[in-house]
Amino acid sequence: MYRYDEFDHQFVRARTAQFRSQVDRRLNGTITEDQFKPLRLMNGLYLQLHAYMLRVAVPYGTLSSKQMRQLGMIADKYDRGYGHFTTRQNIQFNWPELTDVADILDDLADVEMHAIQTSGNCIRNVTSDPWSGSTADEIEDPRPTCEILRQWSSLHPEFTFLPRKFKIAVNGATEDRAAIRAHDIGLQIVKNDDGEIGYHVLVGGGLGRTPIMAQSLNEFVSKAELLPYLEACMRVYNRYGRRDNKYKARIKILVQEEGIDKFRSEVEKEYANLTPADIAVDQEEIARITAYFSPPEYEDLSDVDTDYQRALEKDAAFKSWNDNNVATHKVAGYAIANISLKPIDGAPGDITGEQMRAVADMADVFSFGEIRATHEQNLVLANVKKSDLFALYLRLKDAKLADDNIGLISDIICCPGMDYCALATARSIPIAQQIYERFADPVRQKAIGEMKIKISGCINACGHHHVGHIGILGLEKSGVENYQVKLGGDATETAAVGAVTGKGFGAEELIDAIERMVDFYLTQKQGEERFLDTYRRIGMDPFKEVLYGAA
Amino acid sequence: MSTLKHKGKGPQALTAHGLRAGPVVYLTKDYVWSTFYADALITEDKAIIEKMGDAGDRDDEANLIVGPYFIDVDPETGLPARYREKFRMNGPSFDPGVPTHIDHNKHTGAVIIGGDK
Ligand code: HEM
Ligand code: SF4
Repeated sequence: MYRYDEFDHQFVRARTAQFRSQVDRRLNGTITEDQFKPLRLMNGLYLQLHAYMLRVAVPYGTLSSKQMRQLGMIADKYDRGYGHFTTRQNIQFNWPELTDVADILDDLADVEMHAIQTSGNCIRNVTSDPWSGSTADEIEDPRPTCEILRQWSSLHPEFTFLPRKFKIAVNGATEDRAAIRAHDIGLQIVKNDDGEIGYHVLVGGGLGRTPIMAQSLNEFVSKAELLPYLEACMRVYNRYGRRDNKYKARIKILVQEEGIDKFRSEVEKEYANLTPADIAVDQEEIARITAYFSPPEYEDLSDVDTDYQRALEKDAAFKSWNDNNVATHKVAGYAIANISLKPIDGAPGDITGEQMRAVADMADVFSFGEIRATHEQNLVLANVKKSDLFALYLRLKDAKLADDNIGLISDIICCPGMDYCALATARSIPIAQQIYERFADPVRQKAIGEMKIKISGCINACGHHHVGHIGILGLEKSGVENYQVKLGGDATETAAVGAVTGKGFGAEELIDAIERMVDFYLTQKQGEERFLDTYRRIGMDPFKEVLYGAA
Repeated sequence: MSTLKHKGKGPQALTAHGLRAGPVVYLTKDYVWSTFYADALITEDKAIIEKMGDAGDRDDEANLIVGPYFIDVDPETGLPARYREKFRMNGPSFDPGVPTHIDHNKHTGAVIIGGDK
């Protein structure tokens, strides 16, 4: 993975020192909260419902074991023993004290991490496919592109005061595991007819109160043109994006109001006026960065491992974990192991310091010392030998991380909601927990099959409810929590925004309502259909009837 | 005059966060800040509310607390009226961490900010 160079190191240290002095000045009253707030936000520090919250960037979700161990240390030393992985592949600490934050940032800098640009109207952490470099359906590993984008967008002087925050995702596989259509800019790595690799650029996606799926801006931008082209996009947005209304300031509104063709012609005009060579990274630099992501030293293995087969036959729980959590690797004899952070008695995405250290150890022993965080709030060990899977599973079990529910109904994306978030209108964590309890039976979960439930605690939609097969939005109605339900959302290459079923449900009715819909789907399901497929085939009306009775 | 206006109805309490550690705090009858809602000064008296607002401004400026604001209190129960404030009072409904402020209140008494402490 990418290692900081001298410049990166100096910069992050200088920034931490600067923040330390800003905190000191805040504490001794030289600066007021109004003056301090933008400074702390630039360093990822929020004041939430109960306490401060520090959001740490995990570039494209990739962590070394050393970094994971340090996060565990931070959780234990400065926080309350855990951290929370978010839908943007970052990690949040929910209880740091202001007086400790500069020390935390120094400890992060020790392992080449920081919290810069995790807040504010700038280009945020670039996200990507957590299976990058390992998945069989990959056109090209997106991580070098992500790293180039990270370097380009970090402290880009022109783009630190955009009309609104800006999120970029890159996907390199045919299957979209990075939700690129839900991003301000989504990049899909493609190969053109000449066999040249480049990018399909999508623009104007986003969730929030106005969910829109990104549209195609340019079907092929070559590697050399990528940065200049993106720079042109950013300039058009920076110039024309609305600054009068926070809720209309994202690029999706600009693209919607102007139309994709007008937006494209503006980008082309801008592109014609800039000097690409000034912006593009040269081949040498691309090669230098790409080298950091060269494949680990895979062994030459047979794809069939008899011990592994035997363990699968002997241990049903292992087999179940294997069937749900393990994905196909591009190299014979290897596998991608997904670690669920969705235990029945936890909050989606939460992980204790002790578990972080356990995962770091597992990564060292089994997966070349590297870990990925996913936007679905799980973790991945992307390069595990099949012959090691059983040993890994036993360790996961010891660490209480062996839940075998990846992609199933209990693998719920869920924002912190009213339990932590100052913007929330209702809680989301207890809803996720109640759904899990209701569908705890593993046989039933498997019968239901792939199901993406996504829950947000307010219209900001951090829990991606617009693109859940079942999406749940927590609202406040006359002083009580009320939940709106959406159906048919999809964050993948067949992206769609879900449709609202109708009037919302109180917390007690909600779980029953979901159960009724799921049971109904099972009666309607044809062949291998998922809930989403059945919904697409039969439409909203039958589900409405199940929810609200005949009209 | 206090810059902190309450727009609500009925009895009021004044809440904020401790500046240094960030906990939810309430202004007490001793005009210091407690992490324990039971200590909160709750009143409908305009003159007292004015004094509370002044204390909020004072301790904001003194860098003890951050973001003070008034909350409506349900006259029947004496608890915060809005459920958002109930969650702030109670802490997260699910909390995997080491014991919470609320537990701390129960076991060792509230943390007090301001006054001589
Ligand atoms: C988020 C939760 C908690 C926070 C932020 C917290 C914070 C604190 C603070 C700031 C002090 C020092 C008080 C002072 O200076 O007077 C303290 C002391 C103490 N806390 Fe907590 N506390 C928490 C939870 C708990 C819980 C749940 C318990 C017991 C079950 C507990 C037991 C104690 C004890 C025994 C002391 C006194 C220690 C001593 O004086 O040596 N705390 N706590
Ligand atoms: S969706 Fe709303 S409640 Fe949930 S984390 Fe985002 S802002 Fe907070």
